[in-house]
Formats: sequence, C-alpha cells, structure tokens
Amino acid sequence: MDSLERERRELNTMLRRPGERPDSSVRIDRRTFIHKSILCGTAAGAASFGWFPLLNTLDVAYGAETFKFAWISDNHLYPKDVNTRFVEKAVRAVEEVQAMTPPADFLIHGGDIAQLGDPVEIALGSDILKEAKIRKVFIPGEHDWYLDMGATWRKHFGDPNWTFDHKGVRFIGLDTVSRAPDYWSARKMSPKERMGAMATLDGSIGGPWAGVGSDQLQWLNHTLSSWPKDRPVIVFSHNPLYEYYPPWNFWVRDWREVQEILRPYTNVTNVHGHTHQVLYNEIGKMRSIGMLATSWPWPYAPEGVPDLTKCMVRADPGDYFDGMGWARLTVTAAERVQNEYMMFGRKPQNVFGEALADSGCADNVNQELHPRIADRGWYSKD
Amino acid sequence: MTRRVLVIVGICVAVLLGVTVGTHRALAHKERHTPEQLKIFDEVFLEQVRIGDLLFHGDGETEKKMGVSLSKTGMACAMCHPFASDTHPYEFPKFQEQIEKFGTLRDMINWCIEKPQEGVRIDADSDAMKALEAYVYWANRGSRLDPGRH
Ligand SMILES: [Fe+2]
Ligand SMILES: [Fe+2]
Repeated sequence: MDSLERERRELNTMLRRPGERPDSSVRIDRRTFIHKSILCGTAAGAASFGWFPLLNTLDVAYGAETFKFAWISDNHLYPKDVNTRFVEKAVRAVEEVQAMTPPADFLIHGGDIAQLGDPVEIALGSDILKEAKIRKVFIPGEHDWYLDMGATWRKHFGDPNWTFDHKGVRFIGLDTVSRAPDYWSARKMSPKERMGAMATLDGSIGGPWAGVGSDQLQWLNHTLSSWPKDRPVIVFSHNPLYEYYPPWNFWVRDWREVQEILRPYTNVTNVHGHTHQVLYNEIGKMRSIGMLATSWPWPYAPEGVPDLTKCMVRADPGDYFDGMGWARLTVTAAERVQNEYMMFGRKPQNVFGEALADSGCADNVNQELHPRIADRGWYSKD
Repeated sequence: MTRRVLVIVGICVAVLLGVTVGTHRALAHKERHTPEQLKIFDEVFLEQVRIGDLLFHGDGETEKKMGVSLSKTGMACAMCHPFASDTHPYEFPKFQEQIEKFGTLRDMINWCIEKPQEGVRIDADSDAMKALEAYVYWANRGSRLDPGRH
C-alpha cells in the first residue's frame, strides 16, 4: 500500500513537527499515565509520544463550570424483526445515559444509527433515543445516508452540521459522510446497491467517501473565526479528522485542509465515531478521541494504531454486549475534559487490554492482511 | 536442513503421495509445469477465494446458490472481520475458548455462524466451508504461522 504509506509520512512531516503539541495548558493528567513500553514489553516507539492517557484525560482552559455530556453512536439498527440484539444494546446505552446523575447537559449522537439507511431503521433509532429526555444533537454516519441521500435522516434529525456555544466551549458538529464522490451513476447502481456498497467497510466501491468538503470547510473556517484562538473547541465528526486507515475510511480525505483551519486554535478536541474502538491520538494541536459502538467492535487497523492509543481489550464475541458501549465526557471547572468509556458490563480497569493476550492490538503481531478480491471490477447488471 | 535430509524428505513425500493418491494421478510433478497449468491451478484457487469472499460478506445470492443459510441476524463475518482481520487462521489448531476445546478454523467458522449470526452450521467438509477457509487464508497470506497461540 504505497499511497497509504505516502499519506502517512506526509501527515507526520506536516503535523508532527518537533514541538508541535496541543497547548501546554491542555495537559494530560499525570496521575493516569501508563507507559506504553511497560504494556508492550518494549521501549521502542515510546520516544516521540511516550506517554498517553488512561481515561483520555485532558485539560481544557476557560471551562466556566463543571458539566457532562454523553456520546452514543454506531447502533447500526436493523428493523426489529431482523435483529433484536442491536436494539437491546441501543436501548441499554440510552437508558444508561438517562440514568446519569447529575444528568448530562446533552447527548450527542455520532451517526450510524441505522444499518442500511432504511426509514424503518432510522425511525426505530429515533424512537429509542426519545427515552433520553435531555437535549440531543445529531450528526450522520454513512449507514444513515446513502439509501435516500439523507432525506429520512434530515427529516428526523435536521441539519447534518451545526455549532453552539455551551459554558465556555464552542461545539461544532461536522458532516463527514454526505460528500462521497459519485460512484453509483456510472455503474447504474440502484439506491439499495449504492447503500450496500457504502455499508461494506472493507469494500472498495465506495472509495474515499469520507470528507468535509470545500463548502463545509469554508463554513468551519467562518464558524471558528469569531472564537478566540486559545479557548476550547470540541468538534464532533463521524470519521476521525486525520489519516488513520483510509481503506476503511478511518479518516477524512481532506484532512490537510481541516488541520490547516484548526491549526491556529490551541485547544481543540475531536470526538469521533465510525471506528467502533478505543482510540486516542494527537495531531498537531488537536486531540482526537474515538468512541465505542453499541453494535459491534471493529478490529484495529492492520497497519497498527496511533502511538498514543492504549488499546482496548479483546472483546468476547460470545457476549454480544462485550466491547461495546457509550461514553461519558466531563468538562470540569478545573479546566479539564475527561472521557470515560462506558463499556457494557466491564469495570473501567477492564476496558483496556493490559496483558499481551488481552490486548486488541498485541493480538495481531503475526497478522498480515490483504484487500478483497470479490468487489473488484463491479459492473452494472444491465 | 542439509541437502541430504531434504532429499530423504522429498522421497518420503513422493512415496506417501503415490500411496494415498493412487496410480491414476501418478503423473503429477513427473514433468515440468507449464505456465498454462500453473495458471489453471491459480484460477481454481482464486475462484474459491472469490466465492468465500462473497459468503464472508453476506452475499445472499451466493448463499442461495450453495444451499447455505449463514445468518439470520443481518450480521456477516466481515462486519467484525474486515479484510478477514482478527480471524487468525495461522493460529489454528488451538484451544478455542469459546467452544472450550481444541479446535480448528472450521470449528470457529461454525461457531460464528451459529452464535453471533444465528445461522445454520455447515458441514466441515462442504464446498461453502472450503470456500470460506480459502478466503480467510488468502486474505491473511504472509502472516506468520503460530499454531496454538491464544
Ligand atoms: Fe459504524
Ligand atoms: Fe460509519
């Protein structure tokens, strides 16, 4: 994968210049540090980004008062009669959010509420979320969008991108899914076929569909221009806003432009879905936290995880709640944002894979993977 | 291995093949392979990989054609295993925790069909199983053999 390698090198030279780190006021909480070399039994790789957070604890300056918000995403609901387990897990996450005391200020739904964009699936998700009585905001996932190009999703949840200020933090919701280059017209695909291609993570037909798009980049730039450069910004997106693993769209294709816009801001946290796994990275001055799904966990990218990521535990596939969940984020008056992965049925200390045999990354030291064969040369049936 | 050991191993393999495969296929390896022959071998293999890839990704038409029903939940193998990731075919046979016994990749494929996917298990020697196995191995080619690893 030469282009991937090139991309990765470029990301490192562009955004990982010596000394380029998030603002020093955005400190990782030292009490939660664990050294990666201890976990992996090796000192290699610890040189540049030696320390990383257990609970993704980071400081946010100017937070006026303590508040919490919750994240749920990637429910991938089928109609009830096809799959009840996915419904159970979405319901459980919503119930747990609703049970928070004190209640969360708001719930962000990070996309992929449906599996195949079916109006029945989206309506089901919308109904389940109604059980959370707090304020809710929504961004779309690719599974919500490509049957009717977002028509049903918009009807239920409104605009796919937005911004609001809350207790000293500027929140921004980005739509990273709706601007796929047209792969369907030339192939004469039906809406269902278009959705099917999009719903296959390791398929090549959808291509590099994840992106912010020039119009939304302009909007982002404009939205941020009125905000002081050193004050906290939290950006929600379905896909990570950097290059992690393009073949599965664990990125946005215009990450360069996104980072260019964010670069002057010293206190940016990106919270994203889509990767269905514990993930943490620092890119330039931005911190990035990946969220759990309620449906199923994706494996870590074959090429490895960001150095700063402490890998999640290997999920037990015999327990359909394991490895999944939601997240509780706290912005404290002590100018700190904490992320807690609320993994169903697991104590916080069992969310991460400590021993080699339990780690979702160390498990794959012998693995070499290759892209598919059966979706090459997709052609129209007529 | 020394050259001599290699020769002895080679003779043993040849004898074994002769005994088990019988005389009607005794011509294999007697003459140099032609590029055409090798191409055919490759095509036979890759066709199974392709079928396995389709089954692995929940292709309904292929399931129907092969008379199997791998999932009732909408789940397909590839949902948890994109690019056949985390299938670890190179670790089998091993003690498999989920089924609480020493097992093979085929055992685990059937476990996934029956548990997460709530489908109907397939015969361990069926065409569908061989195709699934072909795809999983092919996608993991180059991985390091490490049988027994948990
Ligand atoms: Fe998802
Ligand atoms: Fe997604």
